[in-house]
Amino acid sequence: MMSLERFEDLAEIYGGDIARWPEGEREAARALLASEAGRLTPVLAAAAQLDRLLDLAPAQSPDAALMGRLISAAPQPAGGGRRWIAGLSAALGLSAAAFAGVLVGVTAGRPAPMAAPVAVTTAAEPVVTAVDTSAALQDAIAEPAAL
Amino acid sequence: MASDGNDPDEVLLAGVSRGEPAAVRQLLDRRLPRVLALARRMLNDPGEAEDVAQETFLRAWKQARAWKPGGARFDTWLHRVALNLCYDRLRRRREIATDAPPEQVDTGPAPDAGLMGAEVSRRVEAALAALAPRQREAIVLCHHQGLGNIEAAALMEISVEALESLLSRGRRALKASLADLRGTGG
Repeated sequence: MMSLERFEDLAEIYGGDIARWPEGEREAARALLASEAGRLTPVLAAAAQLDRLLDLAPAQSPDAALMGRLISAAPQPAGGGRRWIAGLSAALGLSAAAFAGVLVGVTAGRPAPMAAPVAVTTAAEPVVTAVDTSAALQDAIAEPAAL
Repeated sequence: MASDGNDPDEVLLAGVSRGEPAAVRQLLDRRLPRVLALARRMLNDPGEAEDVAQETFLRAWKQARAWKPGGARFDTWLHRVALNLCYDRLRRRREIATDAPPEQVDTGPAPDAGLMGAEVSRRVEAALAALAPRQREAIVLCHHQGLGNIEAAALMEISVEALESLLSRGRRALKASLADLRGTGG
């Protein structure tokens, strides 16, 4: 059985919504509220007043520029470079594997493409903002097969 | 802070690690607003909040390929990173502002006297900003971010009792500073 004092403490600590109180104490709190509604309903109402004020503290919505920067900076598909390599090497008359080997040798800090050649599909969702070269490439290529 | 194996972000994170644009977009839609709101309420500065949110997700992108399913929940990890970045900035402010008062939100009259809601919002933001940082962190995590007490306490690396003490003191301070607004909140 929860004490009246504990109920009042919980309202002061967690606010006027019992659903946001510690899970293990909610049932006892509701039972106490049912039997002491006259005394405890005002306690909850007072705590809920502060909750409503707190809800007015400004949040912030992400703007398109921030979304665009983060989308552009996200990891690129592992096979992303491979299609580009295949296209370029074909133009130069080299095998894709040989050309990739040359590139891997000179491209420090970028992992070698490991995935098998992938099918070209339409990107599931268009990237809408701040598209740079890498993002455009990302849109143009397929998602790799399951790892 | 191990997850229960049902981290709702794990599938998306795997997609991010494979460079799937849809997964990136969906994860941002789901988590960026919360991170941004957390930073905004902790720092009381929209520009700095955006910087923190950006840095948090840049770290997330680096982490995506190394993420181990079944460990800490991704959302918890994000909160921790964002909070640490907020604390770095709050610490820097304290070091810089030796003789100047810390930057506060403008609490003067609203440009339009009819903007009652905006004025109340500014007052609440200022009251939050005036709290001790750990009290503010506890209130932002539990009230605004909707975290449970156990998760918030773990994130703050304190006991549930200590969290409750911070919440209680923080809410009492807010009640006192917003006493004239009681009844305004809806």
